[in-house]
Amino acid sequence: MPNPLVGLGAVFELIRQNAKVLPATGHAFEDLEKPDIDEVDDLLYHKDEEGGGRISAFAESPEPDHHAIYFPTPKIHRNQDHLFRFFVDGSFRTYMIGTGVEGTRSFPIQLAQIGGAVVNREDDGSLKRHSSSFKILLVLAPSDTLYNRLKTLESVLNNLGRFSFQVINYKAETVHPGLDFLDERNKAGGKIRHEMHLLEVDLIKTTDGQRNENSWLILDGAVKLADFINKPYIIGVAKSFSKNLEFHLGHGRGSRKADITSILASLPHEHRTAAFSTYGGKVAFWFVRLREQKEVDYPLMGVVKVEIPVRPEYCDHTGKIRKELIDRLSSALVAERNVCPYGADTRWHCHLYPIYMAEKIIKTGFYSKEVLTGAIKWPKPQEAENA
Amino acid sequence: MPETQDEQTKPIGKTSATDRDPNTSDKFNFWLGSGVIVNPFDIVEVPQVGDSKTYGLVTMLEHRTDAPNHLSNYISSNFGEVEEEPNTPRQGTTLAKVNVLSNSKDIYMPVPSERQVQFASAEGIWEALGIKDIPEKNRIPAGLVKMSTGTSAVAYLDSRYLLGPDGAHVNITGISGLATKTSYSMFLIQSILQTAEKNNEAEKIAVIILNVKHGDLLQIDVAVSDNLSDSELSKWRELGVEPKPFQKVRYFLPRGRDGTANSHLEPVSLASIYAYDLDCTADKLGFMFNDISDPSGALQSLVGDIMHGIIGREAAFRNVDTWDRLLNGEPLFKDGKTQKFGDHYSSTVGKFRRHLRRMVKTRSSGLFVDNRNTSEVVLSEEIFEIKGGDVFVVDIAKLYDHEQLLVFGDLLNTVYELKSEGESEDIPDKIIFFVDELNKYAPKGREGSPILEHVLDIAERGRSLGVILISAQQFMSAVHPRVTGNCATKVLGRSGSSEVFQPDYRFLDDDIKINMTRLSQGELILCPNTYRQPVKIEFPRPAFKQQQA
Repeated sequence: MPNPLVGLGAVFELIRQNAKVLPATGHAFEDLEKPDIDEVDDLLYHKDEEGGGRISAFAESPEPDHHAIYFPTPKIHRNQDHLFRFFVDGSFRTYMIGTGVEGTRSFPIQLAQIGGAVVNREDDGSLKRHSSSFKILLVLAPSDTLYNRLKTLESVLNNLGRFSFQVINYKAETVHPGLDFLDERNKAGGKIRHEMHLLEVDLIKTTDGQRNENSWLILDGAVKLADFINKPYIIGVAKSFSKNLEFHLGHGRGSRKADITSILASLPHEHRTAAFSTYGGKVAFWFVRLREQKEVDYPLMGVVKVEIPVRPEYCDHTGKIRKELIDRLSSALVAERNVCPYGADTRWHCHLYPIYMAEKIIKTGFYSKEVLTGAIKWPKPQEAENA
Repeated sequence: MPETQDEQTKPIGKTSATDRDPNTSDKFNFWLGSGVIVNPFDIVEVPQVGDSKTYGLVTMLEHRTDAPNHLSNYISSNFGEVEEEPNTPRQGTTLAKVNVLSNSKDIYMPVPSERQVQFASAEGIWEALGIKDIPEKNRIPAGLVKMSTGTSAVAYLDSRYLLGPDGAHVNITGISGLATKTSYSMFLIQSILQTAEKNNEAEKIAVIILNVKHGDLLQIDVAVSDNLSDSELSKWRELGVEPKPFQKVRYFLPRGRDGTANSHLEPVSLASIYAYDLDCTADKLGFMFNDISDPSGALQSLVGDIMHGIIGREAAFRNVDTWDRLLNGEPLFKDGKTQKFGDHYSSTVGKFRRHLRRMVKTRSSGLFVDNRNTSEVVLSEEIFEIKGGDVFVVDIAKLYDHEQLLVFGDLLNTVYELKSEGESEDIPDKIIFFVDELNKYAPKGREGSPILEHVLDIAERGRSLGVILISAQQFMSAVHPRVTGNCATKVLGRSGSSEVFQPDYRFLDDDIKINMTRLSQGELILCPNTYRQPVKIEFPRPAFKQQQA
């Protein structure tokens, strides 16, 4: 079988001609994916808002009593109300392939595969791939000259149509102000995640016109407010989330302060918390317990965080989301707990199976580590000069 | 037949090769599309390189899901709630395991992954089994290969490998009680005879059938009384064999104590009673002592000397012309005492007399006589007269074991002699010899017995002499491996799992062995040497009358 990534060699030659390269030991090594990356996103996301992670307002109507913030959400099976029809996930795999040195400046060079998939669930519960997309990213922070030359090569490779390729300068634009404290490689990783989210956005567009009040889409993770705010009938369901949130409920005498751990530890089975307002009221979020605490190892397991952009069609005259809608979404979500990938994924207790399948579609669509690392061969300095 | 041509040719799945479960030159896997029904023994085809097709035999189907363990399924049912219905059914697929049968252009590259698979057509089945390469005149219908789609094709055996010279003999195994082994043998013999008739060679084949149970084979020339059902008739038609009873049949029934036939039923047509007097048994005495324990060989040696003495009319045996005189007269017995005979101790002679008395006197069904009636025939003499087209049925069902051994040994010996030494032009080119319960005559683990030697001779040299053994037994593992090993065609019926995992079945895949344990009545697995893989066949009910057991 021919090398499916033929053409990448020209990219490596170009870098070698323009910069000194310290190749990663051997050919390349795969960066481990961080399972709690959603949690980092969530942490950064809540840091943005006023109060830096302090939650004090409800986002549902009628406004709940701040002493009674749990509501029953008995499961509503697909046979009764087939609410969730589309499921979206994105994934990436990065490879540290070397360090580039231009003058006194050095930068990591990473190659990444990003992919996204939308799964559609039919009336009988069977799943079909609705759409999917894959891309290979070269992420580095070169000089403008090298960057421009690489961009030219990018167009050439994309015109060949063998694979979708993109060169990214991770320093060209700030992905997230909160990432400043991270090192260079993590910044590049942040940029890769951002590109993956953009891919998800594109894929969600393929469901436009097919979503309505009875046909919703679940996105794995947070709704990424800036990207999805204008998309109706979408919720984000996060398996991991920041544990640093603080809740200040009520005012004056009788007000209460609680941390997320104590709130979730008391959240009963098949119940949700009240919906809270965040990001200046543009987003609502709440938690749903899918599994009984006795079934899991730790009280915070079996709980998912649901996010929804606040849109007028969800709200009543108060401008807050109607309680019935939140209850309906939560009850339908409880029914999604089975089947689960127990034994195949450590996050089985809060994984939604169609999302898990979307993840499978992506991972089986990636080039294997062997193919990718086999395709990455830095030319020897002599060869590069002669080329 | 398939409902539509489209149904037969539409893809039913795609081949799948993985890191841990690769496709090889001998095997491949494919997953099934939703709603597709495939069964073990279906034959499928896959496009291969060079515009060729690879044919395969489905041996096993398994359903796989992404659940890594059963606990995962338990938990997915909300921790054991049996009424729980998941919102999204777990992903799973049925995987078919396939053994490669052949390639239309003899290309045995592994089947690549992601190739569309479809059921083989009737013509494809022939190509897969190599039937297309058998010259038409050599094709002997052996059964119907039926597919899940309803497609069926005739499985033909190559007469060169069934009746010689390239191979010969058929061995059929399977538990009793399903009326399959004997029925299939009779179908196959009928098919052989009718094929010979079509080729104007009917006069070249004769058949000798041993009836060992009830009256099963004592009416094979009588048409079935209750008409065959339409489905049975259509099987006969599809096979191209006429549903008719055997013709030119002669029955040989053993003499009973009262001089009449000792049989479960008396055939309506030509039947003769056979009996054994000392004169016609002298050269076969050894067969009677086949099962007597004789670790030192002393008894065998004595029997040999006695046979020699009687046949050679030696002085000591001049007056020995009846069983009674042999037992109670000289040279073995005198003055009320057992005598020493030649180098043989009197104790050995005593042992011989005790056993012989038991066999021909106290535990005799009436087969042994001192003087034969004129109407009682000598079996070997009749066999010597067999002509092409004759079907001889020899009944031994009600005989004692030692009597059965004698008759079997006598027949085998006579047929062998006839074919190896006979010079008459009337001798048929091929003599087919059918026997059930072969394990009784050629058991595994016993060497040197006279009957076994004869069976081995026929198994090993029969194909060149034109003696064809069609044998059956419940357990192949109980039969001498040199006999079964020399059978070019093995036919397997339902067997127990303890039997199919015996080393005698190592020519079969484990998956096929498991399928053997659930074959139904009228279903067999056909394993001719000429096929790369065994196939499951169906065959029609016999068209002759059968006695209800």
